[in-house]
Amino acid sequence: MADDAASSSACTGNLGDNSVNQDELILKQQREIEKEISESIPLVGEQEDLASLEKEYNEDPVYLLKIKDLASKYKCIRRTRPDGNCFFRAFSYAYLEHLLKDKEEYEKFHEIAKNSKDILVALGFPQFTVDDFYETFMEVVQRVGEQAGGSSDGIEDIRKELHDKFNKQGYSDYIVVYLRLITSGQLQTQHDFYQNFIEGPRTVTEFCRQEVEPMYKESDHIHIIALSNALNVGVRVKYMDRGEGSQVIAHDFPEGSKPLVHLLYRPGHYDILYA
Amino acid sequence: MSDISDKYNIKCPSVKRLMREAIELAEATEEYCARPLEDNLFEWHFTVRGPPGTDFEGGIYHGRILLPKEYPMHPPHIILLTPNGRFEVNKKICLSISGYHPETWQPSWSIRTALLALIAFMPSPAEGTIGALDYSPAERKTLAKKSASWACAKCGEIAPLLSSNAAEPITEEEKSVLNQIAFKGEEEQTPKPPEPEPTYEPEPPILESVDSSTTFLDQILEIIVALLVGAIAIFIYRRWNSYAAIDTDL
Repeated sequence: MADDAASSSACTGNLGDNSVNQDELILKQQREIEKEISESIPLVGEQEDLASLEKEYNEDPVYLLKIKDLASKYKCIRRTRPDGNCFFRAFSYAYLEHLLKDKEEYEKFHEIAKNSKDILVALGFPQFTVDDFYETFMEVVQRVGEQAGGSSDGIEDIRKELHDKFNKQGYSDYIVVYLRLITSGQLQTQHDFYQNFIEGPRTVTEFCRQEVEPMYKESDHIHIIALSNALNVGVRVKYMDRGEGSQVIAHDFPEGSKPLVHLLYRPGHYDILYA
Repeated sequence: MSDISDKYNIKCPSVKRLMREAIELAEATEEYCARPLEDNLFEWHFTVRGPPGTDFEGGIYHGRILLPKEYPMHPPHIILLTPNGRFEVNKKICLSISGYHPETWQPSWSIRTALLALIAFMPSPAEGTIGALDYSPAERKTLAKKSASWACAKCGEIAPLLSSNAAEPITEEEKSVLNQIAFKGEEEQTPKPPEPEPTYEPEPPILESVDSSTTFLDQILEIIVALLVGAIAIFIYRRWNSYAAIDTDL
């Protein structure tokens, strides 16, 4: 009898191991497929009519109702590659685009961006690599500044340049890295406050190292709260999911701010919205 | 460096970054040094000193750093060339944070981080991970002694590559990062290039005990299987006999 028990548990043990290996294989394959799909989508796409969303949900009454609601406030959408960096990419693209038309806001942002590096270095981030990301980031920001609030021809040229840079993996990722560092810096400077948002036993620093600083890690509320606070930029996120009702719920970060960036959230992904 | 700026697009962030790292690491320190190959900015050779107070004390280890074109978004790979008793030579190993996937590499880390982490990780137990070797302390000490006279086909004798300059002190942030980094071999095996110094490879004696315990288990398993097969055979034989008996009765 004892032997039976031992051998059966050994069997289930083996089965367990096998299924874990299977799971891992399936996960790996799934990741590869996702990667392939994702790489076929541009890092930041062209502006499209909201009708393109309708086509996507052709036979989905829940989503169609919600898109109708969305269409009452927004006309266009700009899609981003779903690679885990989409919040940072969508946010920075939309905000820089806004700055082209808003010289005053640009001056304010430029000051904050300029000081951001010292905050990061003071927190213990390696000076030399932070410099590297900062310089590329500021290069793009300053190009926007050259034309901010200028003639429409000048703005159009920079807009094209911005679009090119955001679709060049090198530049685009450097901007994402720098925004991730700013987000991490904000979380760590205000760690007492942000600790409340972190589930489980992780410290803010651990959370930053695992969920904020590495590339391709998806963004949650806490990332958006931290980044919008660090840069003092209002972000409105419209949450579109399968939940009840026909309305798409909006959420403003930081609460009560005037939104300059409008994003559409569908489970796991952010795109840019235009009124 | 001048031909490098001719050859590569210095506007490309990874090229710009690697050129900066080359300047940053231009001066050798007593703990580590690294520089890109003359003709390839994406392959570096490095030398590290074995950490004092460990089996690797006095050892000097040389190797290659392969940088992916996505660097620094993706981590560098490290290949050790000098036999050391901790890592297989001529095999890609990569950084990961212990317990997490290698994608937790962070773009704000650098080649310096990777080298410091390698030095810090050398004395950790091999624990059967891919690419890890579990040589005895005595073997490692012998290899450490021999390593000082080891020469690289590209860089020559490695001992003079390190200097007596102290490296930049490790910051608090770096220290906490280094504690988390682990190295392991890549899953997919790259075809092994011929080993440059095959004479340095001793048989690791520690593996013997592991081997004997596995064969012991195997033997028990074999005995159990043999007994089971025997029992089943007897059972079938008896069943068949009794049927045969019934047949003959009829």
